[in-house]
Amino acid sequence: MHRRSLIVMGLLLVLAVPLSASQFVTLPFDQVARESAYVIRGNVEKTWSQWDDAHEIIFTYAMVRVTRYFGETTGPDMLVVREAGGTVGDYTQEAIGFPMLRRGEDVVLMLSRWDDSTDFRIHAFNQGKYLVRDRGGVQVLVEDPVKQGDARLSSPDHGMKDNAIEGPALTIDEFASMVTDARAGIDRPERARQ
Amino acid sequence: MRKRNLFALAFATLIVTATTSPAFGYVLLSPRRRWSSTPVTVRVYNVGNSTISDGDGGVTAVVSAIRAWGIISSSSTSSPAVRGSAPATIMLNSNGGGLCTGNCLAATLTGYYVSQAGDDRIYDADVYTNTSQPLYSSRESGCSGEYDIDSIMTHEVGHVIGIGHSNVSGATMYPSISACNTAPRTLASDDIAAKNDLY
Repeated sequence: MHRRSLIVMGLLLVLAVPLSASQFVTLPFDQVARESAYVIRGNVEKTWSQWDDAHEIIFTYAMVRVTRYFGETTGPDMLVVREAGGTVGDYTQEAIGFPMLRRGEDVVLMLSRWDDSTDFRIHAFNQGKYLVRDRGGVQVLVEDPVKQGDARLSSPDHGMKDNAIEGPALTIDEFASMVTDARAGIDRPERARQ
Repeated sequence: MRKRNLFALAFATLIVTATTSPAFGYVLLSPRRRWSSTPVTVRVYNVGNSTISDGDGGVTAVVSAIRAWGIISSSSTSSPAVRGSAPATIMLNSNGGGLCTGNCLAATLTGYYVSQAGDDRIYDADVYTNTSQPLYSSRESGCSGEYDIDSIMTHEVGHVIGIGHSNVSGATMYPSISACNTAPRTLASDDIAAKNDLY
């Protein structure tokens, strides 16, 4: 319990000082988990970018194959997540500091729907995205260090190669337990203090 | 003894150097990009934010605040932002079609063409505001839990001109802001160094 509290506090600290961002208010983990329509783990199989109908904003769509639903939720095997920003031709549009999804990523996402459509987006911006990494044989969740504006979107790896991911991490079991508790409305004393 | 003195001298020199040299922590957006010329024209749409009670919803305050950068030509406009098309426009009354909602305070959407020479030019940048967050401006007296629109937009215009975030606490481009904090209205030496790096 104590270790989990420390990890969550560490993650919150990291999220409060992101590498790059527009300006966001950091939300409690429980709130993000509770407000999400789905909390999933999946692999980003394909991404593509296109202008909206008004030709004003480029959106990037990510096809995510879901390997696990967290909490009480369940849904389709494949979800499409839409985020602002992307490259079409030689023109790049970025929502500075917003999260992005890259082909091949193993991710855990908290998803909600766009206000004006049934499309999914990452809930609470960077607070709703984790990368799955292997640390000493244990799969852990870490914050994505590369947001829009940190690396050329059109580069093959979007700058990930040069960004070592360190810092606090949650195991998947810890995360799953936290999501279940949050969505069930269980407010543990150690989380209430955060 | 002499060896110890030399070590002490070297250590003292290191400390003095570390404490007197300007410690810059700024980051430029990647890939590096800038507007082709200065001053950079930034318009503020003249329909203000309804949570700001200063007479015009923060428009006049923001027009003035963003001039802190020294390379901004700012004015209000009756034309809303046209994404993908200059000039840079700040929208205080719009979240950008759902772009900046929830825990987002403000968002900068910037566009650029990739240059083969590696010298990318910013083509457009627009700023959107979460109309559900409590905001106030420098033209109001007092603050009770609101976020300062002058500070927020001075920070966002840093993104507009090509600057990312700084790890220097106290810099305008420091990534976090708390309610009622007005310090980011004033550029720190770190912010000025970032601007001078680009322009």
